[in-house]
Amino acid sequence: MSKQREPKIEILSIFPHEIKFILSETDVSVANTLRRIMIAEVPTLAIDLVEYHENTTVLNDEYIAHRLGLIPIKYLDPNTMRGGDCHGAFVPHRECQCFDRCPRCSVEFMLDVDFDKVAADRAENERDLPLTVTSADLQSNNEHVIPAHFLNSEEQDEAHDAGISIVKIGPGQHLKLKAVARMGISKEHAKWCPVAAATYRFWPEITVNDEACSTLTHEQKQQLIDVCPDRILELDEVSGKIIVAENAWELATFTEDLKVLQSTMKKREEDEDFVTVEHSQNKFIFCVEGTGAMDAEDILMSSLNVLSITLTNLRPEIENLREI
Amino acid sequence: MNAPERSAAFLLDEDNAEVKVTYASDTKVANAGTFTFNKEDHTMGNLIRMQLLRYSSVRFAGYKIPHPLVHQIDLKIQTTSSNSTPIDALSDAIEDLIGETGALKLEAESAIERWKKENSGVGVIGPF
Repeated sequence: MSKQREPKIEILSIFPHEIKFILSETDVSVANTLRRIMIAEVPTLAIDLVEYHENTTVLNDEYIAHRLGLIPIKYLDPNTMRGGDCHGAFVPHRECQCFDRCPRCSVEFMLDVDFDKVAADRAENERDLPLTVTSADLQSNNEHVIPAHFLNSEEQDEAHDAGISIVKIGPGQHLKLKAVARMGISKEHAKWCPVAAATYRFWPEITVNDEACSTLTHEQKQQLIDVCPDRILELDEVSGKIIVAENAWELATFTEDLKVLQSTMKKREEDEDFVTVEHSQNKFIFCVEGTGAMDAEDILMSSLNVLSITLTNLRPEIENLREI
Repeated sequence: MNAPERSAAFLLDEDNAEVKVTYASDTKVANAGTFTFNKEDHTMGNLIRMQLLRYSSVRFAGYKIPHPLVHQIDLKIQTTSSNSTPIDALSDAIEDLIGETGALKLEAESAIERWKKENSGVGVIGPF
């Protein structure tokens, strides 16, 4: 007996850093599992090992190493030339057969900034100002892997620096290091998390009880409409009835005020409500925001891949139990 | 000092020959048993449990995480008759979920393609 569901997806908007879509005809558990995988189990690249040659800055080694780890690292998929899924291109370093590290499981970044060397090229009046070492100074040994400096061009235009600032150095200070990036998942450390926020809301089912509403006066109807901070209800000019606003599903967040007001308006406790707002049990509005390391749509596809792989790996384990 | 490796949350402990799934048939109740999944959490537990509840042959399906510091799930299933054992029910659930994930993948790909066709030119490509 097959009780397989047929889920549907409707995309609302796609940007490199954010995707909004509606997932429907499936259970809450599927939506929640998808969300949990996006947050915790999508593999990404992040700096995991730092070898220092020189650090005379004001921040100590491990402080800078911590900051380097949190820089989002983008894998430019050769097919699409945007932040893509690194799962196929790299091997987790634990599983790699190499001795220490190799191009299959890791990417090396070189960073070498010497204040005194850079000072010669700077303008006269700026020569003694602190110099910011940013993610733009990291040089990768793999042309497909680069640090994600900004989310989009707006951020780049607004920023004062050329990338994510790592440390500010002054005269006589020198930072020289080699950073090794590896593939991992957020369960091991939050630096590998591909999303800034992965959330879903329930689709609001707003029903207006026309019969009950017809017993209300015009002022009472206006009261009901005004009490909602989200403006999900409107007054139809022609018929004078309460109707649901066009984009109510986008706006509906808080409906407690509406409920409280209705309980005071009702003639008897047991009467039906005039307007009911309920959570849909099988329609969800997702909003996934990336950190810049992976494009949002690739995060979604990668999470579906991870779910598929996890379930497929469980199948033979369960079949093994049968024999016993 | 006592903190376990973070990777212990998702990697099986090979030194102790940890297996992914074990099954213990219930001695007191007929057609019931408990599956123990190692290195899994609510991500899989809730998903499988909700799928099991859709079957008419399943009388009881529930999961718990015995201790938050130990990454393990206990999934208890009781079926209505011996024609369908707990293992059968779980196997069906996993099959249906694999099918659903496959359908979801295709649906996502086609939805993204459709949206891109209708809204060409949005979303700038380029490394920043």
